[in-house]
Amino acid sequence: MLIDTAADFDVRDYLRKEMMPHFLCPGCGHGIALRALLWAIHDLGLDKDRLAVVSGIGCAGRLSAYIDANTFHVTHGRPLAYATGLALARPDLHVVVITGDGDCLAIGGNHLIHACRRNLKLTCLMLNNEVYGMTGGQVSPTTSETRLTTTTPLGNQEPHFDACALATAAGAGFVGREVTHHVPKLKELIKAGLEHPGFAFVEVQSDCTEIFGRKNDMGSSSEMIMRQKSEIRPSAYLDTVDTPFRSNALPTGILARNDRPEYGATYRRAAAARKGAS
Amino acid sequence: MNAIDTALTGKSAVKLISGNHACALGAIAAGCRFFAGYPITPSSEIAERLARRLPEVDGVFVQMEDEIASMAAVIGASMGGVKAMTATSGPGFSLKQENIGYAAGAEIPCVIVNVMRGGPSTGMPTRPSQADIMQARWGSHGDYPIIVLTPASVSEIYSETLRAFDLAEQCRSPVVLLYDQVIAQLSETVALDGAGHASATRKWASGPRAAYQPYDGGSDAIPAMARPGDGYRTHTTGLTHSESGFPTQQPEAVTRNLSRLFSKLERHRDLIDSSEALHCDDADVVIVAIGISARAATRAVEQCRAQGLRVGLFRPITFWPFPEKQLRQAAAKARAVLVPEMNTGQLRLVVERVLAGVAVEGLHLFSGEAITPSDIAARATALARGA
Amino acid sequence: MQDARIEIRIGGTGGQGLILSAKILADALAAGGKHVAQSQTYEPTSRGGYCNADLVISDGEVDFPITTALDQLVLLDRLAIKPSWPLLKPGALVIADTRLCPELPAGNYRRYHLPLSRTALELGSERVTNIVALGALVALSNICDRKRIEQAVRAETPRGFLDLNMDALKAGYAVHVQAAAGNNAEVNVGT
Repeated sequence: MLIDTAADFDVRDYLRKEMMPHFLCPGCGHGIALRALLWAIHDLGLDKDRLAVVSGIGCAGRLSAYIDANTFHVTHGRPLAYATGLALARPDLHVVVITGDGDCLAIGGNHLIHACRRNLKLTCLMLNNEVYGMTGGQVSPTTSETRLTTTTPLGNQEPHFDACALATAAGAGFVGREVTHHVPKLKELIKAGLEHPGFAFVEVQSDCTEIFGRKNDMGSSSEMIMRQKSEIRPSAYLDTVDTPFRSNALPTGILARNDRPEYGATYRRAAAARKGAS
Repeated sequence: MNAIDTALTGKSAVKLISGNHACALGAIAAGCRFFAGYPITPSSEIAERLARRLPEVDGVFVQMEDEIASMAAVIGASMGGVKAMTATSGPGFSLKQENIGYAAGAEIPCVIVNVMRGGPSTGMPTRPSQADIMQARWGSHGDYPIIVLTPASVSEIYSETLRAFDLAEQCRSPVVLLYDQVIAQLSETVALDGAGHASATRKWASGPRAAYQPYDGGSDAIPAMARPGDGYRTHTTGLTHSESGFPTQQPEAVTRNLSRLFSKLERHRDLIDSSEALHCDDADVVIVAIGISARAATRAVEQCRAQGLRVGLFRPITFWPFPEKQLRQAAAKARAVLVPEMNTGQLRLVVERVLAGVAVEGLHLFSGEAITPSDIAARATALARGA
Repeated sequence: MQDARIEIRIGGTGGQGLILSAKILADALAAGGKHVAQSQTYEPTSRGGYCNADLVISDGEVDFPITTALDQLVLLDRLAIKPSWPLLKPGALVIADTRLCPELPAGNYRRYHLPLSRTALELGSERVTNIVALGALVALSNICDRKRIEQAVRAETPRGFLDLNMDALKAGYAVHVQAAAGNNAEVNVGT
């Protein structure tokens, strides 16, 4: 049973107070995701001085500035590529990437599939709100079919990406998904991702209430977050017929895991072996 | 150790190596310990050399999924405190531009080698060009400072690679090493002297965290950088930022911080400037050229001098910021200036601006061949004789 | 002006090992204290297509490192004639393969039309045509000390091919003599 055991966790210990108030809209799910990440970091006792957070552009990309760590807000779509350089050059750092659905799957899609394939130790947190929020609400690669956005006035006609299936197929060592409705479970999933020795991809279903929700008449933020409950199917029920969840609902929890060798350590070992041989 | 690489040990002083090989050797000698790249002709030999050498010196080589990722990974490694480099050619240089702008704006030291080949677009992958002069300066959006070095020989590729890393660290700036396909793949006998090179180091943050401002330029306009792990826990962003490193759009803070950024290289011209003047003191005609065109011009100058014509050569080695003062001095007595270059007039445009009022003639070739000494000598002779 | 400058081109097609033979010669010359610049022109394809490997040799530093007036030209494919002919100095040495370059233009040059590739084939591999050609060039031009070129061949050759390459080099030294004796060559010293 998952309960909020972290009575000693105070999110303010991990936030840059000088950056408050934050810029997220009321009802935005990203704050919940950020809190879950910081809670997971706290649970694991990660040293803030050794923690590096690299983020891209968009609403999700702005989160790095709020974290009291070594933070890098880089170019649109490229946080995984920056993080690859940083993590290879500094294996002593714990490198976390925060990205959004547009940042990670559209402009940065190539970096995602190759980060999955390379399996360098990085934790990639993709906050999926189905929309380009910061630029005013355009369609993204994860926007559900028929949804209205400023660039799909006829309703979205393009099929959407299943980011976790993509990451799994590309060979990511750890793949999981959770919704912002289930905060302790989200924290546990991020924790498992942070602990994974290779590349970990964690997708967080996060609501954009102000732009996406309004455009699609999805109700208040509490209604939107409650809707998440009825739209998911936890991984424990993935293969069972006897389930309270719909078979076509969104799978959550740990969805894939493998123990392929971590790239950075493999490279350093090969280099050491070559040096030893010469 | 590679037999050729013993050049660095000083055991065999003179070696026959290519320009790209010299660049890789220079990078190692300068302390480069990270390279990310993507295969592209005619620069791939640099990546291939460093893929072998870097693991031997506890460095990292990675071939990324594309040109953009290579530039990003290099900046990422440098943000981690490691000297880093990438190498590419025209098409890849175009793709890297957005991230080069990031490195300029966030002041992350890095070295970008661009081996110029014919363009536009895919152009002529195995033929030389000098048509990226302007892109190297203005290729990324917005105003930004950048250093561009244009070596003209294999040995100079080596020494300028050393200098590129030093300037990147000292000025916290991206530095572009810009040379043409001819000298990249040309092999020359060179005596390399880099083993004892005392590489410059970045100014690192020290003192209490509370007093540290990541983008306070201090007395020399170059802010001290916080190394991740040293306890400063700073924020780095491509957004316009204040001294604190955090984003701002407040007009006074923007103006103050961008003014420092835009002027910081001017403050260090003594360190950055480099050029060469050959027989310019009494020259009626001054040739201005870089790279392989400068090599041709050197021969042309000797041919003209042998005929008693007063012809000289001015060669920028640091191209950007452009050595304006030095060129004005070299061309002080010139009646005419000749600019041979493998493009349609990029260097000529700069020379015309710097030497306003002097007759400047271009000799432009974009056939994928190098300009020959006799072509330059013929034009210079005509100019010297007042034709 | 200092102009003890010698220019050499080995021309043919990609994959013939032209650049390797030029590098071997350049290494040997550098070891003898010469200043050398070695450049090449090639097509984006790795195999086939016109390719040349050039050397500019000087006692002092080479100013312009690209060939402008060839003193010596080795032709291993007819494709190399057209781009090289305008650069040929009067009286230049031209060594051409009889099979790959069967016809040569007229002109004022020292002409050695030799069975280079056939000699290589007889040694067991056409792939060593470049080394046979190098041997012939060294023998006919005296550009380089034989001991030094042999050292350079050894340094650049993988162990498994060393005997073959050394045989090819030595066959190259003698190919013009044997060819003349067997009436297999057309040797024509120009005016």
